[in-house]
Amino acid sequence: MRQDEVEILLVEDDPADVELTLHALRNNLRNQIYVARDGEEALDFLLCRGPYSSRSFDHPPRLILLDLKLPKVDGLEVLREIKKDARTRAIPVVVLTSSKEEKDLVNSYRLGTNSYIQKPVDFDQFRETVKQVGLYWLLVNEPPPKALFTP
Amino acid sequence: MPATAPAPRESLEQRLRALEETQRATLNILEDFDSEKARLEETHRAALNVLADFDEQSARQVVTQRATLNILEDFDSEKARLEAAQQAALNILEDFEAEKAKVAATNVELSEEVAERKRTEQALARHTKELARSNAELEQANQTLRQRTSELQAVNAELETFTYSVSHDLRAPLRHVDGFSRILVEEWGGQLDPAAHQYLQRIRAAIRQMAVMVDELLHLARVGRQELRQQVTGLNSLVEEVLRDLKPEMEGRQIEWRIGSLPFVDCDPGLMKQVFANLLSNAVKYTRPRPAALIEVDAINHNGQPAVFVRDNGVGFSMKYADKLFGVFQRLHRAEDFEGTGVGLATVQRILQKHGGRIWADAELDKGATFYFTLGTSESIPAEEPAPESVRGEP
Repeated sequence: MRQDEVEILLVEDDPADVELTLHALRNNLRNQIYVARDGEEALDFLLCRGPYSSRSFDHPPRLILLDLKLPKVDGLEVLREIKKDARTRAIPVVVLTSSKEEKDLVNSYRLGTNSYIQKPVDFDQFRETVKQVGLYWLLVNEPPPKALFTP
Repeated sequence: MPATAPAPRESLEQRLRALEETQRATLNILEDFDSEKARLEETHRAALNVLADFDEQSARQVVTQRATLNILEDFDSEKARLEAAQQAALNILEDFEAEKAKVAATNVELSEEVAERKRTEQALARHTKELARSNAELEQANQTLRQRTSELQAVNAELETFTYSVSHDLRAPLRHVDGFSRILVEEWGGQLDPAAHQYLQRIRAAIRQMAVMVDELLHLARVGRQELRQQVTGLNSLVEEVLRDLKPEMEGRQIEWRIGSLPFVDCDPGLMKQVFANLLSNAVKYTRPRPAALIEVDAINHNGQPAVFVRDNGVGFSMKYADKLFGVFQRLHRAEDFEGTGVGLATVQRILQKHGGRIWADAELDKGATFYFTLGTSESIPAEEPAPESVRGEP
């Protein structure tokens, strides 16, 4: 997969969650999903730096699925960086996490998340949720115009 | 001299001076008297002399005799004046005695006052010392309190972290077990015999149960931390909302609801709704074996305080286990008979405690159960109260 063709950036450290999420998106958009395993990798990818310095801001992912509890740089910090930077601000972010703690909700929305979803324990519900999120943001939602990413 | 009105102490010296003057005046008068007497004697002598010259001077004698009589008259009036002066002196002495007694009395009063003041000062000193000691004790207590507070804050922070951990970390493996067992069924189901399918189903049922338990436990912890958002709320409206929510559970059931007039109370409506949701859904659940269920919700006066009760004619429980009723994960029924996690009533109790109220139950096995609760503190509620059967009198 070419990194410039990524449609969904999944930021998730837990391999089981990665596998279940990919399973849920199978038959839908699986081929265009890129997985970052911690917050640092997610930021490097999005801000086209370090191992991803060859990437271009012109081809942002169309959706970021962001877990909150991540090694190195946590999800809220990733969210803060993304929304602070004019080159990444317009990318829709869906927080997808185990937590429904009020402080996580408050902080996420305060930092500008576009959506917040608690991962359902029931796999059928989880699969349905992930599928709907993918379909909505990639097919229903009108993406931000390219001009927004080249200020 | 007339007796004077009681005079202030300062004028005593003046009075004494006046007294001395009067005495001196008296002495002067007495002295005058003596000289008068001497003059009289001299006059007598002169009179004798005059008498000796009587013959030659009879006319002058008459005159002299008259003069003598005049002098004697003078003497009498002088004597009267003297007596008056003496009387005045005696009066002054009497006044002086009275004044002296008054001064003595005043002195006694004064010394009593001084003694009293001394006693007061001693008491004051004692109290000051006690106050200083109390202050030191208070400071010590404050110190302890500050320490406890910071310990409590540390424990709370720890609890917060723990709760967050439970919320985040325990749910993840549950999700994984459920997800992979589901995938197993979907992708390899064809190769599994029915027994294997059964086991997989039980795995997923257990996962669901545990997920509910984790959620309810988190909810219980959250209720404990949550600030009350109180407002005056009609409890009947909360009951109505709960009944609407319970409709799916009541489908196909014959339940008679008897809802009385409930009070308006100052409470957190969100949390109070949870109390009713719990108690009413329990009533619905535990009357399931009854072909005609009867559930009553009403208010009574319990020791002068409004208490709300929820009564059902369900399966009830033995009062032997009543103390376990509100414990976390405590259940009085088998899971295969009545589903549940054993967190609901613990949460209800927590909510009512936060409101300063309490909950208790009265039940009989196979006859039904009644749950009573109060909101707001009341010293009049005894530690262990029998279930009130009727309206009690005012305290």
